[in-house]
Amino acid sequence: MADSPIPDLTDETAAAPDGDEIAEDVLVEEVSIDGMCGVY
Amino acid sequence: MACAASTDPAPGQFDLDAPWQLAAQVSLRPEAFGALLYHFGTRQLSFLKSPALLAVVSSLGTQPSARAACAAAGVPAGDTVQYARALATLAASRMICRREGP
Repeated sequence: MADSPIPDLTDETAAAPDGDEIAEDVLVEEVSIDGMCGVY
Repeated sequence: MACAASTDPAPGQFDLDAPWQLAAQVSLRPEAFGALLYHFGTRQLSFLKSPALLAVVSSLGTQPSARAACAAAGVPAGDTVQYARALATLAASRMICRREGP
């Protein structure tokens, strides 16, 4: 009974993005409208 | 006024002490969250998600440097790095460009 059916979440938690990294570019967000349909 | 020869910096390598301006092909529209920039050449939109950043970008063309524009907009000295990063992003997408002369 060494194998557990419940996945170990420790690795995923460790791989979560760092909060400071997310906050770095919050002042500017960029979007391209190429390919969008509409009235210009 | 036209932009100086392209000197687009890599993100994070923004020259705060150089004179900058909004690119001629860019339209700026103030919004409740900050502002919307549209570049007619690249067809890119940039959302400025801070009224203070709008104040910085709006005054770039009349201030001797980006650092002076930040100071004039009331950006605390400790936040200058964050604003420099935002301006670097705008420079990389050609929303702002270096101005010739001071």
